[in-house]
Amino acid sequence: MSAAAIRLACHLIQEHFGEIVEKVCRFLLENGSSQLRVVVKRTNIQLSQVKKALCVLISHGIVAFESTKVGVVEYTANINHCLLLARYPRFIYSAKTLYGDAGELIVEELLRGGQMLMSMVVERVTERLRRAVEGSQKVEPSLARGKFIQLVEARFVQRVPDMPDPTKEEPSPSSDIPKDEAVLYKLPSFVHDIGTPRGKRKREDKDDEQGQKAKRSRTDSSGETEYYIDEDIFWQVNLDRFHQYLRDQEIVNAVSRSCDKLGSEIVRTMLRMSELTTDKLANATAPMSFHEILRALPGNLNLDRNSLEQYLKVLTEDQTRIVSKVAEAGGGMYIVGILFVDLKEGSVAVCLSCIQSVVQERFGSKSHRIFKLLVLKKYLEQRQIESFALIPAKEAKDLLYQMFAEGYISVQELSKAPDHAPSRTYYPFFINLRQVAQKQQDRCFKSLANLIARRKYEMNENKRLLEKAQRVEVIANSFRSSGADESHIAEIEEMITPSEQELLKLNKARMAKLETSELQLDEMMFTLENFLIYQQSSISADSKKAKGTTSNR
Amino acid sequence: MAETSVTVKQEMPDEAETGSSSGSYVEKRILEICHQDAKGVSDSALQIHLPNVDVQEKVKAINSLLSKGQIDLVQGSNNQLLYKIKDTQKQVDLRGSDNQERLVYQIIKEAGNKGIWIRDIRRGCGLAPPPLNKILKKLENRKVIKAIKSVGDSKKKVYMLFELEPDRSVTGGAWYSDQDFDAEFVNVLNQTCFKFLQEKMEAASKLDVDPLLKLNRSYASPEEVWKYIQELGLLSNGVNLGVDDIETILNTLIYDGKVEMTVSVNKSEQKGRTKMFRAIQPLTEPAGIMRIPCGVCPVFDNCYEGGAVSPSTCIYMKEWMDY
Repeated sequence: MSAAAIRLACHLIQEHFGEIVEKVCRFLLENGSSQLRVVVKRTNIQLSQVKKALCVLISHGIVAFESTKVGVVEYTANINHCLLLARYPRFIYSAKTLYGDAGELIVEELLRGGQMLMSMVVERVTERLRRAVEGSQKVEPSLARGKFIQLVEARFVQRVPDMPDPTKEEPSPSSDIPKDEAVLYKLPSFVHDIGTPRGKRKREDKDDEQGQKAKRSRTDSSGETEYYIDEDIFWQVNLDRFHQYLRDQEIVNAVSRSCDKLGSEIVRTMLRMSELTTDKLANATAPMSFHEILRALPGNLNLDRNSLEQYLKVLTEDQTRIVSKVAEAGGGMYIVGILFVDLKEGSVAVCLSCIQSVVQERFGSKSHRIFKLLVLKKYLEQRQIESFALIPAKEAKDLLYQMFAEGYISVQELSKAPDHAPSRTYYPFFINLRQVAQKQQDRCFKSLANLIARRKYEMNENKRLLEKAQRVEVIANSFRSSGADESHIAEIEEMITPSEQELLKLNKARMAKLETSELQLDEMMFTLENFLIYQQSSISADSKKAKGTTSNR
Repeated sequence: MAETSVTVKQEMPDEAETGSSSGSYVEKRILEICHQDAKGVSDSALQIHLPNVDVQEKVKAINSLLSKGQIDLVQGSNNQLLYKIKDTQKQVDLRGSDNQERLVYQIIKEAGNKGIWIRDIRRGCGLAPPPLNKILKKLENRKVIKAIKSVGDSKKKVYMLFELEPDRSVTGGAWYSDQDFDAEFVNVLNQTCFKFLQEKMEAASKLDVDPLLKLNRSYASPEEVWKYIQELGLLSNGVNLGVDDIETILNTLIYDGKVEMTVSVNKSEQKGRTKMFRAIQPLTEPAGIMRIPCGVCPVFDNCYEGGAVSPSTCIYMKEWMDY
């Protein structure tokens, strides 16, 4: 948890939840777990307000609480969850591309509210949809409900896990234990009674659900009634699932660049086939057979058996090694390859490409060449670098040490003699990708915080003007709706002078640019984060393995 | 073979020395014997071949041959002294030179086309710098040896025989002109190779064939690239590039991340395996951080809210926003 990360988190919290919540959260981030009383005292905020702020943070999964052994309740903020606030627009956008406007609104409402009842979400979404379509068309609540069910079935939305029993002392309310996982996505049975469109995913466990969940459906809501009793089930957005989706998207994009459109569609299909069965930290998807892939391919691709086979061959031979073959089972006349998508390899490749682009832009293409050379050949001395990269000695030295000074390249001291005398020591250069990724991540945090700070500053600078423009617009609108004269409206709109118009336009363009960049920056942060998670998981797996072998002895 | 060398030998003693006829006869015999065994002849073997020659006479003849540099005295495997014939062709140049010159020449010759540094010569012959410099200059003037500047260290001169082609490690290969690395040349070749591969890939992707064939069509072997470069006439300045030079260039393209390499088994050619190269695209778009000023900001680490450099007052940001 770096200072830059905290700064960014505070910016984000302030934007989403306001000053007071930001102060409380900042205190928790900077001081670690604290009691309520301590928070109140040190932040100088009223008890009731701190309580409310903590409530907001808890419902968004940012703050967790647990009671210590002494019986005192302590609150802890999770910085990673704070930083996710920057990714909300992407979640919403993904929901839009997958499930249309209603899906977008559902996810937006859930993200904004943290934890919500299904009926509440459906009601609000229906309302908003009605308003958006200018009221003429009647939007059925069943539309939103159907989408909601689809989202749950695709595991984008999940139940809020039950609060841990204080007597049992479970670690944190948000940790989902695998055995409960299916429970998290169980829909109350009554929703199906209303004839809502059924999603295509996860059909199998609906039948047994009917019996189990019968007691949950207290009322049989018949027909199109607006209200059903679901007070006891709160829903939240399953962020892990969205992350999985975004990561898959990233890999698909990478494939489409290294292969072509059709190849990427095949990888997308493979990823979609396995998205519910694969663990979020798994290195690779579960293996799937050629026939399964063929069957699951969308019909509009017009791929026959032959060309699919060829495409898979191309994909497995690709340098990125994203798709691999694990086995060949002979079936009848043809060979069935069992394939899987290597998620770890995919994220490493994407992250590497991302870091390389940073090196390329920051230090130029010659340095990029040296960097890639080191990535490929692992350990090299300066002289070897010169001859491999065909860069004159003087220039190579310059570029190399520049990157070394900024921490992109590391040096490993290798001494021939135990005295480590410089004359008898090799100094090969290498790249510690994990370190570089972490450094980049930190830079991203700071940059994003900078962008947000700048955006706030710009907003503040033109605050009066913006407010004025807004007022004028409201007045003009109200005149228009009351059927006032056109000349009246024009008169009011003229209250903003041309120079002010100009400024407003400029301001709008600036905001748009800053916001786009924020999203792009977050995309990069996501890439790096993914990579680091995989690194972490492989390191812990290694250490576990090492521990296992030692204990075996 | 033996006869031709004999004729040379006949002339040489006549020119160099007008000594006694018996002495020249013994010398001739010794040379002949040495010629028959290029590995060297021991003293006892010589004795067998020259049964009726006086030891005094033999010693005189050998000394004379040694001083003329026609034979060499080397130490054999079992600590035995061997007389060995010298390559007479090059001896011609050393006429009239003294022992020291010959020694220096010998040292330089042994260094082959890698060349030898002056300090190493001095260590080899034990001469003081001034006379050694004189000798080197003399030999250089007579075009027996030449001095080459090494690419590794521009101040370091190495000496080698005049007729030798300097080794790659000395000249740096095709990428060096006059001991300087020709970065421009490498850049041009780098870009040209990439252009070739890219065009090949584009042409392949336009073809309406199955994906595997499309992929295979986009690959090019170093030979193909080499031919393309030759036909372009980029190498007008007398530079001779081999296929492996082109491969080195293609390797730099791999490090640039613009090209990928695969090894294919080629039955039609005798080599069996050839490296194939193909142009690729980067996996991702430029990273997000590089699209904002912070990515390349020189004062990034000094930037704090409320500081002298701060995001709110950043001029780079202002320029970028209005761009």
